Amino acid sequence: MTLLVQQLVLGLLIGGVYVAVAIGFSLVWGVLNIVNLAHGGLVIIGAYLTWLLFSAFNVDPFLSIPIVAAALFVIGYVVQRLLINRVIRAPIFFTLLLTFGVNLVIINVLLLLFKSDFRSVTPSYSGSGLSLGGVQLPYIRVAGLAVALLLAGAVALFLARSRIGGAIQAVGADRDAAQLVGVDLRHVYALTFGIGAACAGVAGGLISTAQAITPSAGEPYTLQAFVVVILGGLGRVSATVVGGLLFGVVETLAQTMVPGLGAGWANAIAFAILVVVLAVRPRGLMGRPV
Amino acid sequence: MRSTRRECGEPVAEPLLQVRQLTAGFGAGPVLFEVDLDFYAGELVALIGANGAGKSTLLGVLSGLLPASSGSVHFAGRDLTNARPERVVAAGLAHVPQGRRLFAGLSVERNLRLGAYVRRDREIGADLDKVLDYFPALKDKLQRSAGTLSGGEQQMVAIGRGLMARPKLLMIDEPSLGLAPKVVDRVIEVAQTINRDGTSILLVEQDVLVALEAADRGYVLENGRVALSGTATELESNPEIRKAYLGI
Repeated sequence: MTLLVQQLVLGLLIGGVYVAVAIGFSLVWGVLNIVNLAHGGLVIIGAYLTWLLFSAFNVDPFLSIPIVAAALFVIGYVVQRLLINRVIRAPIFFTLLLTFGVNLVIINVLLLLFKSDFRSVTPSYSGSGLSLGGVQLPYIRVAGLAVALLLAGAVALFLARSRIGGAIQAVGADRDAAQLVGVDLRHVYALTFGIGAACAGVAGGLISTAQAITPSAGEPYTLQAFVVVILGGLGRVSATVVGGLLFGVVETLAQTMVPGLGAGWANAIAFAILVVVLAVRPRGLMGRPV
Repeated sequence: MRSTRRECGEPVAEPLLQVRQLTAGFGAGPVLFEVDLDFYAGELVALIGANGAGKSTLLGVLSGLLPASSGSVHFAGRDLTNARPERVVAAGLAHVPQGRRLFAGLSVERNLRLGAYVRRDREIGADLDKVLDYFPALKDKLQRSAGTLSGGEQQMVAIGRGLMARPKLLMIDEPSLGLAPKVVDRVIEVAQTINRDGTSILLVEQDVLVALEAADRGYVLENGRVALSGTATELESNPEIRKAYLGI
């Protein structure tokens, strides 16, 4: 019983990372209609920046989150403005291809800069945690979940209250009508992609504290973000939170409680969830009707 | 040939909107041919014509959604030929598109406030109240999702959203589309009130009778060309119009 509770809690905590990974992915998909295959690459840039700040200047990984997010925002804004905006009205195949290419460029630049060595961020408190009634709560994971939920709240509040947030949602709902009220599409596209990249950066920071990173370590996160968005439903931050946490729990339980499955089955489990959701409820748990 | 010579020291009665030789189209050839149109401040002008005559295309070109291939658009002393849509709205030319095109998932209030997106002044709240005075039915529906309203209410939100830009000229495309006759009358009535309060209106309608009864003047578009223009009374008594559009 304690084992089950332990795995449930661990799944929720790990789900925090998935929430962080998927928020930006979902925003970009929902508003720009881009399935961003470079999302995992952006996540890993965030992880490397966190590692760089930690190893060179000894900055705590959680304190460097705002810096990393700001840097990724700038990268995302520029990539969208100069590159993706050129094919934004083309069929989705073109943006898929382009973001796939961007991802390759990111991985290879990271390889040039950092080699393929494993890097990890290990602040003094990594490895320690809290014990509540026999259930272990690693500090890193608890803080990660807290950061992810804060990020989700901040993005939701920004979309609901700010002027730019309104413009972003207007563009997501109807591009032409948004232009007619005076929204500059090129700018709002770039802002949206920048915010998506900033969220990816935050996720990368969390990931750098939980696992060793290499230039290609972001690959699985694009798939996981995709599954989380399908699971929760497109178009709402709250749906991403539910999808991310649930995905963390299902994955953890499947890997630890089902005999014969282990860590090597992560992708298979993700795909299985994807297939089941698409077959049973294509719009996701909380998505709007298609 | 995009530029036209700007005359200096023009007389005061310069039109608010001046369209010259406007030609536009995509792919298979032009949809608009050398359209000339003059619009004076304070007017309510009807733009009528059959389905596919180019009315919506003309509005799209004026508001910057569609490119013009030649000709010019001058509005309030500015050259807006092929200007980006955000510049057009900011100059005071707002477009209420056909089929309302509301931001469906957002609340009515958010939709209306987004209409004022280009504005930075402090009177946006006051203008929201003004819009609600025109459309009192929206007052207790501000927090409803815009997609859940009835067709008539959605049209009100669409016009209200256009008004929130505080335009000098409001172009309304087919407000009667899919609405019950009673609701159409109500919408047109409000358009006339808005016009009396000082906003010029360009009303695009397939329902010619409705449009001409409300308007001061009218233009008839046929196959992308201006076929006829004149005062509403002239057009209403024109035998060709009566035959082609009124079925009399």
